[in-house]
This record gives sequence, structure tokens and C-alpha cells, in this order.
Amino acid sequence: MKSMYPKNGRVILHVDCNAFFCSCEIARDPSLEGKAVVVAGDPKERKGIVLAANYIAKNDFGIYTTMPLWEAKKKCPQLVILKPDFDLYREMSTKVFQFLATFSPILEPASIDEGYLDITNCYSSGTPLQIAQQIQKGLLETLKIPVSIGIAPNKFLAKMASDLKKPLGITILRKRDVPKILWPLPVQAMHGIGEKTAKKLKSIGVFTIGELAKTEKGVLKDLLGITGVYLQERANGIDHRPVDPEAVLKFKTIGHSTTLSHNVTEEHTLIEVLRKLAYSVSNRMKRKRVVSSTIQITIRYADFQTVTRSKKLLNPFQEPEEIFEYAVKLLKQHWNGDPVRLLGITALDVLDKKESIKQLDLFSYEEDAKDEALLNAIEQLKRKFGEGIIQPVSELLNKENNLKEKIQLRYDAKQKRRGGESM
Amino acid sequence: MKFVINRDHLVRSVQDVMKAVSSRTTIPILTGIKIVATESGVTLTGSDSDISIESFIPTEEEDKVIVEVIKPGSVVLQARFFSEIVRKLPKDTVELEVQDHFVTTIRSGKTEFNLNGLDPEEYPRLPQIQEENVFKLPTDLLKNLIRQTVFAVSTSETRPILTGVNWRIENDELTCIATDSHRLALRRAKIETNTFSSYNIVIPGKSLNELSKILDDSNELVDIVITENQVLFKTKHLLFFSRLLDGNYPDTSRLIPTDSKTDIIVNAKEFLQAIDRASLLAREGRNNVVRLATLSDGIIEISSNSPEIGKVVEEIQSELVEGEELKISFSAKYMMDALKALEGTEIKISFTGAMRPFLIRALHDDSMLQLILPVRTY
Repeated sequence: MKSMYPKNGRVILHVDCNAFFCSCEIARDPSLEGKAVVVAGDPKERKGIVLAANYIAKNDFGIYTTMPLWEAKKKCPQLVILKPDFDLYREMSTKVFQFLATFSPILEPASIDEGYLDITNCYSSGTPLQIAQQIQKGLLETLKIPVSIGIAPNKFLAKMASDLKKPLGITILRKRDVPKILWPLPVQAMHGIGEKTAKKLKSIGVFTIGELAKTEKGVLKDLLGITGVYLQERANGIDHRPVDPEAVLKFKTIGHSTTLSHNVTEEHTLIEVLRKLAYSVSNRMKRKRVVSSTIQITIRYADFQTVTRSKKLLNPFQEPEEIFEYAVKLLKQHWNGDPVRLLGITALDVLDKKESIKQLDLFSYEEDAKDEALLNAIEQLKRKFGEGIIQPVSELLNKENNLKEKIQLRYDAKQKRRGGESM
Repeated sequence: MKFVINRDHLVRSVQDVMKAVSSRTTIPILTGIKIVATESGVTLTGSDSDISIESFIPTEEEDKVIVEVIKPGSVVLQARFFSEIVRKLPKDTVELEVQDHFVTTIRSGKTEFNLNGLDPEEYPRLPQIQEENVFKLPTDLLKNLIRQTVFAVSTSETRPILTGVNWRIENDELTCIATDSHRLALRRAKIETNTFSSYNIVIPGKSLNELSKILDDSNELVDIVITENQVLFKTKHLLFFSRLLDGNYPDTSRLIPTDSKTDIIVNAKEFLQAIDRASLLAREGRNNVVRLATLSDGIIEISSNSPEIGKVVEEIQSELVEGEELKISFSAKYMMDALKALEGTEIKISFTGAMRPFLIRALHDDSMLQLILPVRTY
């Protein structure tokens, strides 16, 4: 079996759940099978948009994610509209990743519904294609979750490959296939290139992935910085990033945003919204036992112009009052007075409270010094009876499934990218 | 106005007053340097309305002619261009002549610039200061006082008063204190005064930094005059005015611990180098924090751990460890700043607990102290 694996280099799978939210709903309620199904924000609210559509809704009715709900209804009057049940999706997601982890421990969840799996050393389980087939069949039979899988020598190609055939596809993309398969595609088809980058590339006459691959590195570096160099490498099928099971722990944010029921121009109303958001963010941070020292606010204006502004603080925060105070400061500094449609607060670079530090202040250190006696007592107990003798309750509760937490964090990041319509 | 001047003297004076000129001023004329020629010499003035510097160039010094004033008068010239021009002129002497509408001709050798000037009447007057309450400090001591305290001022405007250095004068003693609320620097010095009044003022840290830059390293006396809202530093040919900060400086005397639970004495240089090494990894990480722990037999362990990069542990032999065992974490930067400000080969550090401020002093010199707040780890 080893002969089917490269001598040098790696074999990476990208597993992408097809229409994940809808698949979860259909798995729970099999009567929905064969119908056009969407998951959408509150149907009564104006902000209702399609969060996910199954393949029947997509292919037969032309409904896509982010389409306004009223438009989707017009295209398909018999459409089944479901409210999102994030607890269900999280639970299913955990099960999917637990299943994937049985094939290889080198698993990197990339979001709630996709992940990378390094199977370089899995030759005893079969050829890469056989493993992919086992995964696809296994997930469909046990969890009723359809997935598309890309098989490639690196993460980028694996991700591109899984996109090539949906639903229930398995695609092998070798480096030598890149000129034939990827180069004719427009640059936007590339993972990592959004609207803005595509526009910049257009300005230097780069429209396809092939053109990007052949552009001078220096030119791209001037245009896009180091990202330009990475993108050029990707366009040539090169990607050195390892599948990193810890990656999910490195880039973490916790944020909440809310679309306002009407466009708001009164500062006090915006401040009230920030107060609520600050409490939500703080609650989530406390639940996850994390702190952050960089706060960011998002302001989306009525014309959909969106600005984010952040501030790095000396000491980590977690309390709602602190978050509220900093958020209001940022709002007052950066809001231009135009009508606001959406507001958000995000704690960037969150880290485990245990890893955090707090620079004490001459005028307030007594607050912290109060804990000293207690901490000294704990220290003495530990020295006498061993490290495990005493632990905060919150820590004992922390011993549950670590993977679940990782997925949740990725999910948060993804929600943010999608425009943070959840709250 | 018309005069001929030695270029080196002019360059030097322009550089000094430029320290007060800011391009980001709301008063347009303050982007200029005011030049006044009288029979006794030429005076240059620069100001950003917080700091004003006046530099005087006498007609003669040590029997050498520096300036020849042909016609007294005054003008204001754009500081940015004027300073560059005089620096780059070809010959040792410069001729300045104001023509109609303040257009000023600057000649040196075969070079001639015509620079549009401004009306000197528009230039704000410098504060008039009654020179009653004067005290004197040698220049080198003044520069030391500044160096040993000003680094500890706050750079954040959240508490504006902390961006200044607090000067208290009482019973012929000057006490300078700066704190950004995470560390505190204090320096005392005996002074000569002609009054018995006491003062409590706050001088912006920025002003003291600029002052320190334009003072020579000498032991000549500097006259210091304090008024309600200004302080004036006066040397032979230089006047340096600074606005004072409004508001009450917090009373720090009760914040400085008087007792201690753990005392250590270490060689200042060895200790500084150990902290520097420990912070090599820490400053690349999320925060620049090192840990100090007392071990047995007077050994002190300095360590830091940055999970993504690596860790470092170092043991140093102290000269003394007295009192309770201790583990404490603090900013390596604050510690290094403090150690560099202190003089002396041996230093004593006095701790009162892992979450309380600690004091660093030179062993045989109590004229200065440094205080640092530790960081709390979880």
C-alpha cells in the first residue's frame, strides 16, 4: 500500500461538509429529504437572509447563501425554512471531527464544517483514495452527513480539490495537474483571494490563477506585501503550511454583533447596543475562561460600508464594564455620525486566563494583593501534597472534551467572517 | 535689520531653539523662528506654546567678534527652511538682511537666498517672569536628575498629570518623582535657594527631555525660576521656558513601602545582564515578563518562559538574601530601565510580597530609589 504514497512529501485530505447546516437538519428529521431546505435568520425580521441552502434549493431553484429570504421564497414557494440551531450543528461537528480523528491524529479543524487531515503515515489503512472513500461512506452512513473530499500533497491543493466536485465528490489534485485544472480559473476561485485582492490583481492585469502563477514575485510583493508571495506560490501549487492540530488555538477571537432593527443615528442608542454586546462578549469569555487585551468594534453603515477599529490595551480584560468602556471610547473616536446598521464588539487574540498576566498598578494593586494570602495557602498545600491537591472549580470543569472547544473557537472565527449575523 | 554672523554660532543657536518648534502647531507663526538683532547681539526664539527657547548670541565672546550688527531690527523666518539653509551655507560667515515685506536675504560667499519672512509683531510674547524665587543647580546634576526620573513618566494621556515629573522643594531639598503608575522613579538633591518657600510643581516630561538635550555637560550653575504656571531654566545664553501641568500630583509618599519581607543584595551589572538575557525570549513573546525566585544559599533564579519560542533559566549568586522565600514576576523592561538609572555597583531590592510594589536602591546611596509594580500571573 505504501507504493501509493509519495516517497517525499505528504498526503493531505480536505474534508468539507456539504451544506452542513441543512445536512444536520435533514439528519435529525429524515422527512425533509428530497425537499428544498434552507436555514435562515429569524424569518420575521427584515434582516432574514439564507445562512445555508441544501443542493436541491441551490441547484433546482438558484438559492444561495446570503440571499434575502423574501427573494428565496419567491423563487421557491414550497421552500422549507428552518431557524438555525447552533447547538445541533456544534454537536454534529464534534461527531464529524471525532470520526475523522480515528483515521489520523494530525487533524486541523478549519471551521465548524471543514477540516484538514494529514494521512501521510496511514498506508496501513489503505490507499489515499480508499481512505477518502471510507471517510465519505462512514460519515454518510453513521451521521448522514455528506462530504466532499480533496486529496492533494498540501493544504491549499486539498482545499481547491474538495471544491471541484460537490456534493459527495472525491477529487485528487496533483501538483502536475495545476496548470490544466487551476490555471484557467479566475483568481477569485482561489482560496484566500477575496473581492478586494481580486480588484488589486486586476489593476495589474492579473485575471486568472495562471496569470498569477506567472507574475513576478517582486511585483506581487509590492502590490500585496508578503501575502502576494504566498498567493503566487499557491497558484503554482506550492503550500508549505503543515496540518497543525493546534492551529485553532493560536488565532482566536470572541465577538458579537447585532443588526439594528432600523438605521440608527442617535449616539445613546448605539451606546446601549454596545452595552448589551459587551455583556454577551464578556459572558462568552468567562465561559471559555479566556481573556484578551485587544478590543475591536465593527460599524456597518446604512450604505454597507463597514469599518473595524481596534485598540491594544496594557492589561487583559474580561469584565463587561471594561469591554463596554473601551468599546464606547472606540465608537466615539471613529463613528462618523452617519446612520448605523450594524454594531459589533470583538475581543481579538484571546488567550487562556492561565497564560495571561496583569501588570499591577500603583494606585490599585491592593485589590490583587488581597488574594495573596489565599494563593500562598494554596501554594503551601501543593508543596506538601502535590500539584493536583487543590484546583479552582472552574478548572475541574475544564477537563471535558478539548476538541469540542477547538471547534467552537473555529466556528466563532467563521461566523465573524460571514459578517457576524448571529446574535 | 542687517547683521553679519559667525555661521557655527548661528547653527548651534538655531538647533537649540528648533527643539521647541513643532510643525504641528495650531498657531501658524510658531512654525517660524523669531530673530531679533540689537546692539548687544542677536536673539533667536522658538516656541510651540508649551516650550519656548530663547538663545542669545553676543556680539563678542572672549575678545572674538561673533556678530556685527549693522542695523537693529527683527523678523520671523520659516524654521524648517531657515535651519536647513544655515546648515548648508558654504562660508564661515552669514549675512542676514531684511528687505521690504519681511523678505530676508541670506548671503554666504557667492550664495544668496531670499526667504519670505513674517511680521515679528505677530509673534507671541514670551512669559514675563519675575526673578524672585530662584534656585540654582549645577548643569550636570540637573541633567542627572532628569535622566534618572523622566523615563518613568506616563506616555498615555489617560491621566495627563502623570506625563510630567513632580518637583517638590522643601527645606533646601529638591525631590523629583515620576510614575506611570506601573513604576516610579524618585531622586533627591540638595539645592541652593534664596527663599524659604516650598514648591510642588509638575513639569511635562517632554520639556525635561528637550532641556536635557540642549544643556552642555558642565558644572556651571543653572538658574531655575518657578511661577504659577511656568518654569524657567536660565543659563548664560539660554532661556528655556516650560508650561507646568495643571492639577494635583498624587501623593506618592504613602505608596512607597517602608518595611520589607524579603531583601536581596546583588551586583548591579551582573543582575542587569541576567535580566537582559532572560528577556531575550520574553520580549519576542506576548509580553516582556521575567520571573525571580529565591533559592537556598543566597541563590537567585531568573527565568522566563515563552511557550512558542522557548525558555531560559539562570542562577545568580547574591551577596545577601534575607527574609521570606519569594517568587515574583515583573516587566524586564521596567527592571532594566530602573537599573540603568541607578548608580552604584551594588543594589538592594526590597520586596513585600509577590503582588506588592518593590524597591530598588543603590546600597550606599539613599538619594534615589526606583519602585516597580510586579505583574500578576494566573
